[in-house]
Amino acid sequence: MTRFLMVVLMLSASLSGCLADELVAMDDGPCIGTPVTRADDGTLRILTYDITAFSDTMLTEFTEQSGYEVELILAEDAGGILERMLQTQTAPQADVAVGLDNTYLQTAIDFCLLSPHDVSTDAVDDVVMAMYDGPLAVPFDQGHVCLNYDETAVDGENLTAPTSLWNLTEVEWKGKTVFPSPLTSSPGRAFMVATIDYFENDGDANTTAFDWWKAMAENDAVFTTGWTEAYETYYTGGYGPWTDGHLGGAALTVSYCHSPGVEAFYGENWTISTSLVLPRATFHQVEYGGLVNGGANSEAANAFLTYLLSEEVNRNMPENNLMKSVLHNATWPETAGYGFHTDEPTQNANVSNVRIGEEMAEWLVAWSVATQ
Amino acid sequence: MSSTRPMHRPYGVHPIQWVAMGAVISLGLVPLSLALLRLWGVTGITPWAALAQFHEQPGAVEALKFSVLEAMASTLLTVSVGLPLAWAFGRYRWQRVRLKRSLLFLPFVTPPIVAAAGFLALLSPDGVVHRLGLDLRSETGFIGTVSALTGWEHPGHFIALVVAHVWFNLSLMVRFVEPVVAQLDPSWEEQLRLLPAGETLRGRLRHLWMPVLGPATLVASAYTFFFSFTSFAMVKWLAPSSNTLESLLGEMGGTAGVPGYRLETSLAVLGIATLQMVLMLAMLVIAGRFERKHSHVLALHHEGLNRERNGAPSRRWAWFVNGTLALLLAPLFSVVLASFRVRSPEASGGHEWTLEGWKRAWSGDFSTVPVMDALSNSLSYAVITLLVAMPLGYAVASGLVTLRRNDRSRLAGLLDSLCMLPLSMSAVMVGLGMVAGILRFYPDLFTFPYLPVIPHIMLVLPFVIRLMVPAIERIEPIYAEQAAMFPLSRFSHWWHTRGAFLVVPGTMAASLCLAFSLGEFGATYLVVRAGSWDSLSILVDQVASRPGFDPVVFPTAMALATTLMVVTLLVLSINERARAWRLRHEL
Repeated sequence: MTRFLMVVLMLSASLSGCLADELVAMDDGPCIGTPVTRADDGTLRILTYDITAFSDTMLTEFTEQSGYEVELILAEDAGGILERMLQTQTAPQADVAVGLDNTYLQTAIDFCLLSPHDVSTDAVDDVVMAMYDGPLAVPFDQGHVCLNYDETAVDGENLTAPTSLWNLTEVEWKGKTVFPSPLTSSPGRAFMVATIDYFENDGDANTTAFDWWKAMAENDAVFTTGWTEAYETYYTGGYGPWTDGHLGGAALTVSYCHSPGVEAFYGENWTISTSLVLPRATFHQVEYGGLVNGGANSEAANAFLTYLLSEEVNRNMPENNLMKSVLHNATWPETAGYGFHTDEPTQNANVSNVRIGEEMAEWLVAWSVATQ
Repeated sequence: MSSTRPMHRPYGVHPIQWVAMGAVISLGLVPLSLALLRLWGVTGITPWAALAQFHEQPGAVEALKFSVLEAMASTLLTVSVGLPLAWAFGRYRWQRVRLKRSLLFLPFVTPPIVAAAGFLALLSPDGVVHRLGLDLRSETGFIGTVSALTGWEHPGHFIALVVAHVWFNLSLMVRFVEPVVAQLDPSWEEQLRLLPAGETLRGRLRHLWMPVLGPATLVASAYTFFFSFTSFAMVKWLAPSSNTLESLLGEMGGTAGVPGYRLETSLAVLGIATLQMVLMLAMLVIAGRFERKHSHVLALHHEGLNRERNGAPSRRWAWFVNGTLALLLAPLFSVVLASFRVRSPEASGGHEWTLEGWKRAWSGDFSTVPVMDALSNSLSYAVITLLVAMPLGYAVASGLVTLRRNDRSRLAGLLDSLCMLPLSMSAVMVGLGMVAGILRFYPDLFTFPYLPVIPHIMLVLPFVIRLMVPAIERIEPIYAEQAAMFPLSRFSHWWHTRGAFLVVPGTMAASLCLAFSLGEFGATYLVVRAGSWDSLSILVDQVASRPGFDPVVFPTAMALATTLMVVTLLVLSINERARAWRLRHEL
């Protein structure tokens, strides 16, 4: 038995070196095209998460228009897409990745996971293009991540609407807030980035965003793995109270500025949720599609991204994907109070994609330490 | 002149059995080694060094304590309820026993998110448990008082989780223990009654039933502990303030194994997964050794005999069994109800009863995979898992028994333990190992539609082996010697000396294969997969996880879950017919 274990250990030690050689780490050098390891079999493979807009009908229409069959490779969320791309970098299995947002995009670019597309972005709004106008990603929807609160709980007597994020660290808010963790949630990550900018510009050089997060943890804020647990299980202002397993207790959470609009849209123009658009405490989130570096079918990938930006698909994003179109003059629909209950931020956090890419790992560690 | 060279059989084991053992061990060892080596390569730290840093990982120590506590409580309660249930099933003649067994098995195959939804419905303010005065969710009333008096944080969540684990694992206890009760030679008990040691019930328990049922109970307990310890989705939904080691790994597993990207998660995953693996492997090895040490060669009797002798159950037993079944079905019934219940659009707090969820589930445009395709994928996966795992598991089990009979118990023990490796591994490690392995050796495998079958086979094989080994060991070798005196074909010889005795455990192993494959989505989820090959359980999870702004989303998921339950029930019922056929031919 000892001999057997020795052999296993020796094999392991030698394999360790081999496997380490297989891994591709980020460096500062230029991106070199990853060799195509998969043969083009005429099928377009899309790495994405469960985007509701990608229905059977929508994909069938694309196939009829373009002639390309489609197969989806599903990750759990935007972060999952990046992780899959990183893990399979030496043998990419998808042709196009759809759903990376601007908190993940730079990392994908830095790791050389994307290759240049051939899609016209003339129809895309200038503000959206200003977020990233390079050749590696095409925006396809947008929204603003911000705080949402329950109007019946924040009634001006028991609780008052915050005018500063520091208000949330006061005793009246003790145990009444819930945040999706930036470690595991895209909206959570976007809001954490917003707080970085907020506290860098609040005129107080002695405190940082992480001091605020620490104070929030001490004020019994709840941190959840994902948006769903925060919004559905703890937040009292959304649809959560009508679901089994709702715990409640949180009058404020992180969601989108248009979440109250979506509540109204499905609730016959009725909602008790509203958004809090404090300057720099909102984050303009844009979701992108990009050609996978080393993908086998770039022609089909370009065709799909073009299809995503088409009027017929992109204008319907609010109804089909609960996000806003990125085309010029995009608006929220007025149906059932969708637009009425959607607030536009006054001033979004201003953190460049490049800075996000450079500092995100450090921020996440600091956030973990602050909220422990 | 022709001469046949005698086949070389090291330690009496057929070469095919050696190959099978090698294949099964490789299925566990290769992904594990690849995952460990990848994390080792990325972090530059050995698994043992990472293990030494376990206590430094955020939330790890708390997760370990919680995992141990809830798994122990879940195991104790499962044994307390499951043992009498298995006794009753094995000892008495039940009407509609096939249906009862299939119903008992349903929880085991229910995707965790669906089970959690069923439990949450029971615990909600409208639910039965809440109406009985137990608020396990918001922890007010009695539970709140318990919490305040003892300082125990979230006792309601803990109780809900433990009950859910019992609900899930009860069928395991019955599957392992019932055949032993049913197949035991009734004359043993009769003879013991004549002796002073067997005059009292306590004496019979001590001298007959505990030694006889102990190994099977311990094996079932070991698996119950294992499943509770590595619980993931149930913890997330029923005990949201706590983590098991597995749920902690699940939270950070996705980013592990990538060089230069969030190395702290790779280090944490390496340390936590190593500890969990060592603990689980040690537990499975100890359970296996105990089982072997206490295993008896029992006289084999067809399983109907005991039931025929003992007849119909007493009213007390009937109430216990039927009552337990009704309780087991309660969460599932909640799922069926939830498929018809849609929240009122005006959000007035009310609900409507409609078929909207069912209409959307079957219209096929709520997702990229039509429900019929998902159903056919699920069935394909289950059948392939069955066809591969059963012969492979049988070959390994036969090889292990042969080694033991040839005085190679230590080698058999080592190989047996290695066969258990897949069970000791975290789903995160299975996923990472498979990705690393496929990338290194055969990237085209990513597009192989039956890729998800591999983790299914990995996870069911240890169960098949654990069921088959004691069943084969109980077959007395003298049968083979006697049969050798008759001019039988090879197949007839095998059937009369072995095959016929394995129909019952074989049926159970087949049920496990089918059930596990139909309900499993954990490991499948972590393997890169093409959406068009999604199974029904993945579809249920996918739809149930969507934001619930649209009131029809959740009922749609529950309609899909109900479909999965009905299909599973049908498949298991068909499988149970094999057992019934065997019974008819014995009687």
